Amino acid sequence: MRALDWVVLLAAGAGIVVYAVLKGRRTRDLDDFLVADRGQHWHRVALSIMATQASAITFLATPGQAYADGMRFVQVYLGLPVAMVILSLTAVPLYHRLKVYTAYEYLEGRFDLKTRTLAALLFLALRGLSTGVSLYAPSLILSVVMGWDIRLVIFLIGGAVMLYASMGGARAVDNTNFLQFLIIMGGMFVAFFTIVRLLPSDVSFVEATRVAGKLGRLNAVDFSFDITNQYNFWSGLIGGCFLALAYFGTDQSQVQRYLSGASAAQSRLGLLFNGMVKVPMQFFILFLGAMVFAFYQFTEPPVFFNPVQLERAREGARGPEFRALEGDYSAAFAEKQRAARAYIDALRAGDEPAADAASRGLQAAQERANGVRAGAVEVIKDFEPRPNDTNYVFLNFVTHYMPAGLVGLVLAAVFFASMSSTASEWSALAATTVVDIQRRLLKADGSERYYFISSKLATAFWGLFAVAFAQYAGQLGSLVEAVNRLGSLFYGTLLGIFLLGFYFKRVRGTAAFLGALAGEAAVLYCFFFTKLAFLWYNVVGALVVVTAAHLINPLVGSTKKN
Amino acid sequence: MKKTPTPDEAPTRHPTEEPPPVGASWRNLYAAVLLNLAALVVLFYLFTRAFR
Repeated sequence: MRALDWVVLLAAGAGIVVYAVLKGRRTRDLDDFLVADRGQHWHRVALSIMATQASAITFLATPGQAYADGMRFVQVYLGLPVAMVILSLTAVPLYHRLKVYTAYEYLEGRFDLKTRTLAALLFLALRGLSTGVSLYAPSLILSVVMGWDIRLVIFLIGGAVMLYASMGGARAVDNTNFLQFLIIMGGMFVAFFTIVRLLPSDVSFVEATRVAGKLGRLNAVDFSFDITNQYNFWSGLIGGCFLALAYFGTDQSQVQRYLSGASAAQSRLGLLFNGMVKVPMQFFILFLGAMVFAFYQFTEPPVFFNPVQLERAREGARGPEFRALEGDYSAAFAEKQRAARAYIDALRAGDEPAADAASRGLQAAQERANGVRAGAVEVIKDFEPRPNDTNYVFLNFVTHYMPAGLVGLVLAAVFFASMSSTASEWSALAATTVVDIQRRLLKADGSERYYFISSKLATAFWGLFAVAFAQYAGQLGSLVEAVNRLGSLFYGTLLGIFLLGFYFKRVRGTAAFLGALAGEAAVLYCFFFTKLAFLWYNVVGALVVVTAAHLINPLVGSTKKN
Repeated sequence: MKKTPTPDEAPTRHPTEEPPPVGASWRNLYAAVLLNLAALVVLFYLFTRAFR
């Protein structure tokens, strides 16, 4: 990093923390702390929702995903707009009318205490563990690429968020998310235009895009039906809709964002704006990755993008073999570049047969380069069982090729993305801890001020927990991966419980509770014994909960609420 | 701190509900979101075909 990058990064970081603290200082009472006094306008609700969903990993891994696998990942989001409409019609007016602090409060009124507590504990367990991972993952990437101490990165992000989230609660979080998201998207646009500018002067943007398309990186939609593959239209539309319903309708980290809307109308409009903008936004981030791929068709990429593992392979026992493979990769790249230019020349000449022949040559050259890279990855497997450099592609490009000042801006965007999603998670965890556990189960007769102070302490507690978890996450190995998958294992069940509450008035608490257990068993069966794509777990979980509860309800139908 | 609320009905549209801050009606806004999705799918299809 150059001096100007440090200036930009430090100024942006200090500026956002000061802004967040100033916003948080106005927080006066519990309503303010948990739901920003229900006073936010729709545009702040919308951008806070989007900032919460888009973590640092979104901005680091998504371009890498397009680089490695193309743009088909965008289909995962196709169900989201439908879910936003459904939630605007159902959850938003209901939550606003009841003036709840958490989504789980609603469940006690509708069912009973045990169903509410089950949902709240599921959320606390899942989100509590995953918040540590979501702090650790970007810190690891930043520390590897920038050479910084990972503990310092975790402490910087965690410390800054803890400062303003525990001081100002949802008010500070929502207002800061809004500003951070604008800077994040600004950083992404700057990165995109820099890539286009860095293409060779004799290759146009459209020509580079055609090369990326010919090599399979612009595959945005696939209408084939395959339930073992989540990257197709049907999985994205149906499974993605259930996932989005669960995430935005039952996960307190999102529900809290739109509970802070000044009215049901403001919250609805925030969700609908997300429904309009989210898919194009993901398309843009993936297209950014596809353009990084196009850039590396004319500028030689490293054989592996994780610099630490690359160096370790060079220095290891099979170092000479690895260096020979790097030489082969350079030769394969030169061949591929010649093929890409031949393809572009044929396009310019309007010679279709020649373009077809050149595109076949280009694809063959890509296959050869992939083969050499696979050999290099085998060497890395000697010390890293599951090497994957997808998350490092974009940051590697940024640090090596972007001009001074812009590197600092993009890094600030990555930091802010991590801070915004982390802050929302801690604020939601604190709200659930105090409202659904402490007040409901442990101490029901506290004063308003007592719960206000408790909420601040709970935010600090979850912050400390996440920082501590992140510090040791590197030693937990596959547990980190397991935590990442936990969400998709439980969201369907949570959604099923809420669907019962919203739409099936006859179903009572015990049936809903037992239905939830049945739904969870079905999801775990799919996870361990089938090849079903994870997006479909949400569909299976929700449908089994609803069906099982209906079957059980006549048997326990006389059960009274609570 | 208030007590846990009790919903006495499933979510339904209230006749007195607030009009949208922008746009003529909620129905129009919902249609706009879904039409936007349909348009995006068509554009993605054309994009995929054009650069295949």
